[in-house]
Amino acid sequence: MKIILLGAAYVAIGVALTCVVLFADPYTQYVMNLVLSSIVVAIGLNIVLGFAGLLSFAHSAFMGIGAYATAILMARLQLPYVLALPLAGLVSATVGVCVGLPAVRVRGLYLALVTIACLYFFSWVFVHWDTVTNGSNGMSVPTPAFAGIPLESDEQKFYLLLPIAALMLWLAAVLMKSRLGRSFVMVRDAELAAQTCGINVMTTRALAFGISAFYAGVGGGMFAMSVSFIDPHSFGMLQMVTQFGMVLIGGISSLAGSLIGATLLTILPEFLREFRGAEEILYGFLMIVFIIFMPDGIAGFLRRRGWIGATDLGGRAKRVRPGRSGGDPSVPAQSRLAAEMKKWVAK
Amino acid sequence: MDLPVYIVVGISNGTLYALMALGLVLLYKTQNFVPFVNGEFFTAGAFAALTVFKVFALPYWAAICVAVLCGAAIGFICERAVIRPLANSHHLSLVMATVGASILLQGVARIHWGDDIYSIPPIMSGMSVDLGGVPIALQNLIIVVAAVVLMAALYVFFSFTRIGKQVKAVSQSLVGAQIIGINPNRVYRTTWMLSGAIGAMAGVLAAPFTLLYPDMGSEILMKGFAAAILGGLTSIPGALVGGLIIGISEMLIGGYINTVFIKISAFVIIMLVLLVKPQGLFGTNTIGRV
Amino acid sequence: MSQDILTVDNLGVRYGGLVALNGVSLRVSPGQIHGVIGPNGAGKTTLFNAISGLTALSTGSISLNGADITRLPAHARTAFGMRRTFQSVQLIKPMTVLENILLGLHVDARPPAGQPRMAPGAPRPSALERAAEVAAQLGLSEHLYKTIDLLSFRNQRFVEIARALVSEPQLIMLDEPAAGLAGPEVDELRDMLLRMQERMGFAILLVEHVISLVMQLCERVTVLEFGAVIASGTGKEVMADRNVIRAYLGEEIDA
Repeated sequence: MKIILLGAAYVAIGVALTCVVLFADPYTQYVMNLVLSSIVVAIGLNIVLGFAGLLSFAHSAFMGIGAYATAILMARLQLPYVLALPLAGLVSATVGVCVGLPAVRVRGLYLALVTIACLYFFSWVFVHWDTVTNGSNGMSVPTPAFAGIPLESDEQKFYLLLPIAALMLWLAAVLMKSRLGRSFVMVRDAELAAQTCGINVMTTRALAFGISAFYAGVGGGMFAMSVSFIDPHSFGMLQMVTQFGMVLIGGISSLAGSLIGATLLTILPEFLREFRGAEEILYGFLMIVFIIFMPDGIAGFLRRRGWIGATDLGGRAKRVRPGRSGGDPSVPAQSRLAAEMKKWVAK
Repeated sequence: MDLPVYIVVGISNGTLYALMALGLVLLYKTQNFVPFVNGEFFTAGAFAALTVFKVFALPYWAAICVAVLCGAAIGFICERAVIRPLANSHHLSLVMATVGASILLQGVARIHWGDDIYSIPPIMSGMSVDLGGVPIALQNLIIVVAAVVLMAALYVFFSFTRIGKQVKAVSQSLVGAQIIGINPNRVYRTTWMLSGAIGAMAGVLAAPFTLLYPDMGSEILMKGFAAAILGGLTSIPGALVGGLIIGISEMLIGGYINTVFIKISAFVIIMLVLLVKPQGLFGTNTIGRV
Repeated sequence: MSQDILTVDNLGVRYGGLVALNGVSLRVSPGQIHGVIGPNGAGKTTLFNAISGLTALSTGSISLNGADITRLPAHARTAFGMRRTFQSVQLIKPMTVLENILLGLHVDARPPAGQPRMAPGAPRPSALERAAEVAAQLGLSEHLYKTIDLLSFRNQRFVEIARALVSEPQLIMLDEPAAGLAGPEVDELRDMLLRMQERMGFAILLVEHVISLVMQLCERVTVLEFGAVIASGTGKEVMADRNVIRAYLGEEIDA
C-alpha cells in the first residue's frame, strides 16, 4: 500500500476545500467555515483526551470562553481579529490551567465528573452573567477586517480562517513530536515510569489542559466569527458530545483523525435538519458503534490499511542523520559512533 | 415560605436526588465505573407518567407501575447492547459509551415529543396535610413514603433473595464471586434493571410538579452525581444522606440568598468535594488522589 | 575516600497499621553491583518504590550522591543520577523503540555538579544519536523503528533498560529484570549488564529472585525478610548465613 505523505495530503485537502468554497453557494461556504473551527476545537480535544489521556468534559466550555472573549475583545476593545483571536485563546488557556491544576490531582473518572461540573457551571455563567456576556440575549460578533477591508461574506471569512486552521494543525504536529508531546503520552501510558524519568506528572497534565483549552478558545473564536452571533446555550452537553464524537469517530490520538471527524460531524447534521432528534440519535449511535467496533476510529482503520503513515504519535521518529554532532562537516568522523550511524542510516 | 416548609420541600427533593444517586452507586459498586445514562431513566419515568395520564387516563399507581417497568426495560437494553460488548474495555470507554447512549435516548424522546415542554396536572392539587402545624403538600409526602417503601423492598431484596445476595457478592469481589459460580452477566442485568427502575420511579414521582422535556434528565443526573459523590460513591447510605443534604441546602440557599444559585449548587458541590475529599462523607479510601 | 552513591538509613514504610519496611539500611558504592534478595513479600519492591519516591516513607532518610533526597518528589530525584526499571515493563506500546528510549533523556540524569564524561572538545552527540547508540550496544538496532507491541518480551525488557541507561545515570535500580526470561536470555542479560557497567561505570541496585544471577553479578547482597534486613555481605557470606537459609527454606526441626 502506498503511504501518502501526510503533509502532502493536508495540502491537497486544503486545496480541495478552497475549490469547494470558490464554486459553492454562501450556505455551503458558511458550513466550510464551521468545519474549520471544528477542526481546531477537535485537535484541542484530541490533545487532552487522546494524547494526554484525560477525560475532560470542560472542552466545550473553553470553546465558549474563547468565543465570548473574541467577541468582547473586538467589540469593546476594538481589537483587530488577528489580535483578538490568539488573546482569546490565551484567556481560555489560562482558565484551562486554573481548572486543570486542581482537577488533575484526581483520577480519571473523578476528573470526568469535575469537568462535567465545570461544563454546566460555565454554561450557567454564559447565560446569567448579563454584564459581560449579555446573558440570554446572546452577543453579536463584529465583522472582522483584514488590512482595512471588512470581511462580510462567508467566502471572505473562509480565506482568513483557512490559514489559521492550517497553522494550528501544524503547531499541533510539532507539539506532538516534541519532548513535551512525548511526555503527554508517557504520562498517559506509563505514569510511574514517567515520574522516574523526571517528568512532573501533575504539571504535565495541567499543561495539557492549558494547551487544549488554547485550541478550544481559538476554535471558539473562529466559530464566533463564522456565526456572527453567539448563543449562550451552544456550549453545553450537546456540543461536548459532538466534539467527543468527532474525536472518537475520526480516531483518537490522531491529528488526521481530528480532521476527518470534525469534517464529518459538522457536515452530517446539515442533512438532518428536518428530522427531529435525528442528530442526537446519529451521534449517540455512532459513538456507541465506534467505541465497540472501531475504537481507533477512521484514522486507525486507515492506518492499519497503510493508507496513512503512522506519523501521528506512535510513529516514526526523525531519521538520525550522520554528522549531526555539531562539528565541522569537513572533519572526518572521529568516533566509532559515526561509523555505526552510517551503517543503518541508509534505511 | 418559611424554614419548616423549606426543610420539607428540601427533604422531598433530596429524596429524589437520593434515588438517582442510589442507582449510580449500585452500578459503581458492581461494575466500577460511573454511567452517564441514568438521567434518561428519570426522563423515561416522567414521560411514561405523561403518557399514562394523557393517553390512557389511568390513576397514579398505574403510572408508577408502567414507569418502573419502562425504566427496567431501558436499563436492560442498555446493559445488553452497550455495556456487555465493552465488558473488558477501559472504564473510560464505558463512560463514553454511556454518554452516547444518553444522547441517543434523548434523540429518541425528541422524535415523538419534539422540543415542547409538557406538564401533568398535579395529582391531588392543593391538598396538604398538617403535621405539627406545618403544611406538607401531599405530593411531597407521597415521594417520601414511596421512597421509604422502595428502600425497604431493596433491603429485603439484597438480604434475602438469591440474586440480591449475588449482587452483593459481585460488588465485594468480582473474582471471588465468579470463583464460586456466580454469573456476573446475570448480576449486571439485574443491577441495570434495578437502576433503571429506581431512576424511572424518581421520574414518575417528580412528574406532577415539574416541567417535562426530553433533556430533563441531565439536570437530575448532575444532582444525582453530586449526592453520590458527597455521600461517597461506594456507600448506599451515603447516597441517601448526600441526597438529603443537597436537597435541603438547595432550598435554604435559594430561600435565603438567591434562587438563581439553586441550579449551580450541585456543580459547586461536586467540584468542592472532589478536590477536597474525593471519597465523600462515607466512601472508602480507594478512590481518587493520584 | 569516595562517597557512597546511595545511602539508605533506617528506612521505614508503614501503611496504616501494616509495617512494610522497618529499619532498613544499606549503602551502595560508586560502580558497585548490589543485590537485594528475600522471600516473597519481604518488601523488596516497596524498598525500590521508597528510594525512587513512588512510595512515601515514614521514617529514615535517603541520600543520593551525598544529597538528601528524602523529601523530594519522585520526578525531582532523577536529577541526582538515579534511574530504575519496573517488574512489569512500563513502555509506551504504540511508540517505537527509539521514541521510548528517548523518553529516558527527558531529563538529564547527571547530578548537578557532575564530572564531564568526555574529553573536552569532543562533540556532544545529540539526543537521537545517544539513544541510537545505547540501542546498538544492547543489540536493539534492528528494532529501532518498530513499535513496542511487536517486540519479544526479552527485547521489551532490554528497551526499558536502555531507557534507564541512555541518560548515563550513576545508579540504576533494576526490579527483577530476569523475571520471565528463559535461561539463555538471563545469560544475555548478565553479559549485557556487565559490559555496560564496565563501559559507563554506573552502580546497580538489583532486586532478583534468580539467585544464580545475583551470585554472578553482585559484589554485595542485602537480604530482606518481612520488611527488615536479616543479612548483608558478599554473596557467599550471605548464602551461608543461617538466617537466610531459614528464611528461604524454613527451620530444621530436631525431633
